[in-house]
Amino acid sequence: MEDVLDEVVSSEDLQKFERIFHEQLHQGKVTHKAQFEYAWCLVRSKYPTDIRKGILLLKELFNSHPDGKRDYLFYLAIGNARIKEYNKALHYVKAFLEIEPANQQVLALERQINKRMEKEGLIGMAVAGGAVLAIGGIVGLGIALASRK
Amino acid sequence: MSRCDFKIVLLGSEHVGKTSLVLRFVNCRFNADIPYQNTVGAAFCAKTMQSNGKDFNVGIWDTAGSERYEAMTKIYYRGAHAAIICYEPSSIESWNRLRHWLLELRTVEENCKVYLCGTKKDLLDGGNVNREVPEDIVKTYSLEQNGHFLTSSKTGENVAWPAGGSGDPNAARVERGPASGIRCSQHVFFQAFRGKNKEYCLC
Repeated sequence: MEDVLDEVVSSEDLQKFERIFHEQLHQGKVTHKAQFEYAWCLVRSKYPTDIRKGILLLKELFNSHPDGKRDYLFYLAIGNARIKEYNKALHYVKAFLEIEPANQQVLALERQINKRMEKEGLIGMAVAGGAVLAIGGIVGLGIALASRK
Repeated sequence: MSRCDFKIVLLGSEHVGKTSLVLRFVNCRFNADIPYQNTVGAAFCAKTMQSNGKDFNVGIWDTAGSERYEAMTKIYYRGAHAAIICYEPSSIESWNRLRHWLLELRTVEENCKVYLCGTKKDLLDGGNVNREVPEDIVKTYSLEQNGHFLTSSKTGENVAWPAGGSGDPNAARVERGPASGIRCSQHVFFQAFRGKNKEYCLC
């Protein structure tokens, strides 16, 4: 458990809050609380489809319930970071910091996102570097073969 | 949670200073310039602590105190080895809520050790606030728990190691020193980690 981005919801919890949400949905009146709790579980799921669903619910809340804005922004950032939409995640981080500058929790989240971008960026470069070497090898082989003729 | 050897969870009403307590412990600092910030959901911090010459990765979950998170924060009590329940001696309301937090904790974790923590000791000592929670009540109630501490995140009293103090560049080294065991026995996180009988379980 390194940070909030690694935390995964248990399936019992997800089911519990999902049930409450669907019951309310069935009755035609979903409270902000039920939707937020369900979305909070979804963005912490290990499945990207759940996370995307959670992001949609949070966006809806963000537009309809101004009182909870900072909470929705926080979990929108987490959800997007978890599906590697880092630029979107950083956008929500920035929006949060506009409401509440110097929030320690959000600054820590920002550092985690940057760290992941950096780490994955480097891995990407290493793969690209390997490809360059491989292409170099093939070209070299081609030249060698051509020169033998 | 697999990379945590020991899990501590912080509970208590909003604004009692749970986050300041954790930040004082983990970063050895207190920033009076930052205005109050309501914790979103729960924040996680990790710190390496020593016991019998071995390193342990201690994970601390700092839960939000506001009511809107109640259903959510309960999830973080799960698997906790120790809980620190905070209140403000100058707020009887925060003390009255203590029993509620304890019950919430017990529904999730029956065997977790519980430490009570009265925060903002500096305000009390300086006469800036009046004590609303009688000391004898605290004493009686604490007997049922594993311990009670009065802490100040501002001065670091009973939170940070006395040798280091705030901003001491040697603080990090001192706190891991071999002699630290004696020095920090009054320290809330240390007690939560080591326990009353110097026992700890690694479940």
